[in-house]
Amino acid sequence: MQQNETKSNQQIGETKYLSEFYHLPEFKSIEGYKKNGGYADLVKALKMQPQQIIDEVKASGLRGRGGAGFSTGMKWGFLPKNDEPRYLLCNADEGEPGTFKDRMMMEKAPHQLIEGMIISGYAINSKKSYIYVRGEYDESINTLLVAIQEAYKAGYLGKNILGSGFDHDMDIYRGAGAYICGEETGMISSLEGLKGQPKLKPPFPAVQGYLRKPTIVNNVETLAVVKYVIRDGAAAYKKYGTEKSTGTKLFSLSGNVTKPGNFEVPLGYPLKDMIYSLGGGFKPGRKLKAVIPGGSSAPVLTAEEAEKATLDYECLAQMGTMLGSGAVIVIDDSACMVECLANLMHFYHHESCGQCTPCREGTGWLDKIVHSILAGKGRMQDIELLIKVADNMKGKTICALSDAAALPVLSFVTKFRDEFEYFVREGKSKVKGVAYVADHTH
Amino acid sequence: MFQLSTEAKQQVLNELKRYESKESAVLPALYIGQRENNGFINAEVIKALSNVMEIPESHINEVFTFYTMYNKQPIGKYHIQVCRTLSCMLNGAKELTSHLCKELNVKLNDVTGDGRFTVSEAECLGSCGTAPMMQINDRYYENLTPESAMNLLRGMK
Amino acid sequence: MSPTTLINCTINGVELSVKQGKTIIEAMTENAQRIAHYCWHPGLSIAGVCRLCMVEIEGNPRVQIACNTVVTEGMKINNTSQKVKDAVKWGLDFHLINHPLDCPICDQAGECGLQDQYMEYGKYNPEMAERKQKKNKVVDLGPTVVLDSERCILCSRCVRFTSEVTKTHELGIFSRGDHAEIGTHDGKPLDNKYSLNTVDICPVGALTSKDFRFKQRVWYLKDADTICNGCSTGCNTKVYFNKEGVFRVKPRPNMEVNGHWMCDEGRNTYKFVNKEVRQLKGQKFLNGAWQAEMHAGAAVKDAHLSLSQVSGDAIAVVLTGQHTVEEYEAIVSTFNDKFKTKNVFHWVNNKESFESFDGLLLRGDKNPNTRGLLEVLAKHGISSNWKQLEDGLKAGKITHLVVFGPENLPVFPDLQQNLNLFTTAKNLIYFTSAAISQLKSHTGSNQVTVIPLKSYVEKDGTFINFQGKAQKFKRATTIVSEALTGVEAAQLLAGAEIKIQPIAEKALFTSAHERIDQVTLEHRKKNEFVFNRGRL
Repeated sequence: MQQNETKSNQQIGETKYLSEFYHLPEFKSIEGYKKNGGYADLVKALKMQPQQIIDEVKASGLRGRGGAGFSTGMKWGFLPKNDEPRYLLCNADEGEPGTFKDRMMMEKAPHQLIEGMIISGYAINSKKSYIYVRGEYDESINTLLVAIQEAYKAGYLGKNILGSGFDHDMDIYRGAGAYICGEETGMISSLEGLKGQPKLKPPFPAVQGYLRKPTIVNNVETLAVVKYVIRDGAAAYKKYGTEKSTGTKLFSLSGNVTKPGNFEVPLGYPLKDMIYSLGGGFKPGRKLKAVIPGGSSAPVLTAEEAEKATLDYECLAQMGTMLGSGAVIVIDDSACMVECLANLMHFYHHESCGQCTPCREGTGWLDKIVHSILAGKGRMQDIELLIKVADNMKGKTICALSDAAALPVLSFVTKFRDEFEYFVREGKSKVKGVAYVADHTH
Repeated sequence: MFQLSTEAKQQVLNELKRYESKESAVLPALYIGQRENNGFINAEVIKALSNVMEIPESHINEVFTFYTMYNKQPIGKYHIQVCRTLSCMLNGAKELTSHLCKELNVKLNDVTGDGRFTVSEAECLGSCGTAPMMQINDRYYENLTPESAMNLLRGMK
Repeated sequence: MSPTTLINCTINGVELSVKQGKTIIEAMTENAQRIAHYCWHPGLSIAGVCRLCMVEIEGNPRVQIACNTVVTEGMKINNTSQKVKDAVKWGLDFHLINHPLDCPICDQAGECGLQDQYMEYGKYNPEMAERKQKKNKVVDLGPTVVLDSERCILCSRCVRFTSEVTKTHELGIFSRGDHAEIGTHDGKPLDNKYSLNTVDICPVGALTSKDFRFKQRVWYLKDADTICNGCSTGCNTKVYFNKEGVFRVKPRPNMEVNGHWMCDEGRNTYKFVNKEVRQLKGQKFLNGAWQAEMHAGAAVKDAHLSLSQVSGDAIAVVLTGQHTVEEYEAIVSTFNDKFKTKNVFHWVNNKESFESFDGLLLRGDKNPNTRGLLEVLAKHGISSNWKQLEDGLKAGKITHLVVFGPENLPVFPDLQQNLNLFTTAKNLIYFTSAAISQLKSHTGSNQVTVIPLKSYVEKDGTFINFQGKAQKFKRATTIVSEALTGVEAAQLLAGAEIKIQPIAEKALFTSAHERIDQVTLEHRKKNEFVFNRGRL
């Protein structure tokens, strides 16, 4: 293992486990990938019993890297124990604001994902998988299409893979612009050629998913990790990270830091190191105000909280927020929190699929209230109303988008209430000294 | 009256067979229809697809109107979509958009007089580490300033 | 486990046993427990989107929707806790923030799910101060239905109806989020034989019936149960009426017959019962001219006298499948026993399409009681064919012809042709509920007597549908007071003296009319003085 070696182009402090070879352009092609250990773990996996692989993944403590952080091994365990055909779907509909790690993985290491998927497919006895890629990721799609062709040619996909008797087909499905398709059942609806509206649960996808057949949906990063769990074994994998948040994770760092980008670190990594050493801190004269640690749906942390936080599931949950997709959005003191929240509310209003009433109406309502504050027309009771509306959107809908819209509201308004009150009282931003004309249409 | 070319029709038929269920072909078929109709979809495109696919028009229209990547109105040769979501906003997306609109003398979502450009805003395009950014047709252009973006556009004929 | 296995649960403190596989909402509605809901409909798939049917299940910290939760053994459910009430209260408010609240001009007012449920579960201090979403209004969806998108709460019932029941797929929900709107694609009309069911299942005033809109306020209408007389399916229906007549017909659920639906054609069956198109009085054609109108009783008395003067061979009776079993029995036995004739003929109106069926409800036999007629005829050993009638009239053997004509004239395309045949009789006695304009221009030397009959909403009786299912129904209202039922007509023809009993008016509200979601008096009282309307 070379993950701790410091290479010239690596930033200090990163633990390049998955991303070890991402700096090599050749890693994108099957030859380059194989030269650096590619597909060796598929060979190994095919000699194992599928249950052994599931057990290994379970033992590794791997949790879904898409946002929910659910145990991958446990998810696989929900599949019915029979010969019914089942599907493996890779969720590459990366849409959580602040997240751009899956795109990098697909563009720099398509075979890593494909290998992880074939191993996972073998483990859960699925003969068909799809990679659902968000439509905007043209380069990812083209890269994957080439890579899948290469894998077929090399005999890693198709009938009787490497003489193991295991068949597996893989294809790409291109999304068409809808954040909600990142929700696993929304993605299934979309793959079925429908509006990307999440489905009622129960039944859960593992029982009735794509075309009402058992279906497992995993994130790009999750599936890629499976390869490494097989390579190194669960015990070795667990050496990274904390007890309950094992392994490394790719974090997408963005916002007001001077050196944003994707960084791979072990879970439990201090958030302040992410901001100041990996991210290069702030422009001269600016300082930290707030951090959204897990994609825009995660409740915001104040500067004070952020200084103490570590990037793992438990610590962030304890602080009332979440690790989510690992998108760290850093906000410095030049930003107006009312404006930031208004930006996010526009997003959720735009992205609500519209089927559940509390979300459809609530996201629009929140958006309008925040924007009227932003236009200098807010009323003091609007601040309380934001909280009431958000509170009553939580836990009331089919999927988590409603909660995802409500949580930022609750945390922004509670933690930065002075900025909201100032805006209402003075009719202008406390930070920027101006109000905003309605810059968007409802 | 819009008609699918023979080649496009064949592509739609291929998509119908490509996935485990015929209905899955609706999204790819809409992309084909959009390409055939100069970058946007109207009722006639939907009718044509419905005929070839034998899927109800209302169903195709539901899908068409749900997703943002299917254009509802004519667009310029270069469709500029500036990411507007938080990380890009923090790095000047608003200024970028208004600069482009001003320089191109066009309102948001309209087509420039010469038919070359449409400027619109998009929600998070997954390029937050290289903000602000824009997508022109299928390509991403990252780490922009209002000036660098305009320079790029000047090179597009 | 067999499908009849019973599951024990407790709902709002009441212990219940429900069939295995039942959802909580089914268990509740079947056991007269009140629960708010919009998108759930027992005849459609589960959408689970209105998020109103919230319940609390012991052991589960989050409220759940009752429509997608199956009852399990020992489950303890309530929808009366504060947690549930708050969820429903806000759920309703979310439905209302963009709703136009144009109740004063909305046809649904008075039977609107939003009004009814708000009375019971509402929040009463609306806080929405922002501009409402603008959407399309007065959208002509097709020949029968008008849409107001701003009133729509996107419950998707109508969309599910056209995709699951009629499979015609006209409707869809287009766009997303709060821009989403119901609609048809590119003006392709909502045009199917069941389209008006979408209006029935629309819980708000988004879809209204072109036929009914702006005709009456629903609180000026009473309703009564009856059976549709549009075809041999015998859909269970409700007619809505007041002193001005009948205004509409809606289906009543009956899983054995029509499920939850009825066809659009059946909804027109109210149109031939109203006064404007009815035969109101008796009238005689004599000596080449129509005489002054006379009382129905007098006309039938005359008919009795003339029938009494001829032998049974000279008398014939024509019946359609439009009358009740009781009427057939009275008529056939009168002629059989009193006038000693077996000349009873069945007027089959649409021979070609008689056996057709559209796979859902519509049947080619456009009579509600063909089966009942055939059973009565068989019971009395009568088998006759139309040719015998034609020959008998032609040969002059049949001189006295008594016809009990149809009330639903549009489904009798052969009316004129048969009137031509009937009027060849020396003495035609024609009982009809419908005014027959064709007879007005009659000329000739024979005698014709027209006598008014009651329509199907004006009498008690039984229809036997195509399945052989006998369905009893009660009189709903009286429109032509002088008109006779077939039973009365038969008795009078036989010479009996009958006294017509005045019919007691039905009470306006009986407990049987109370809907599960109906606002109770207490709720009205409670909210009478709520003026805190805010800016909603």
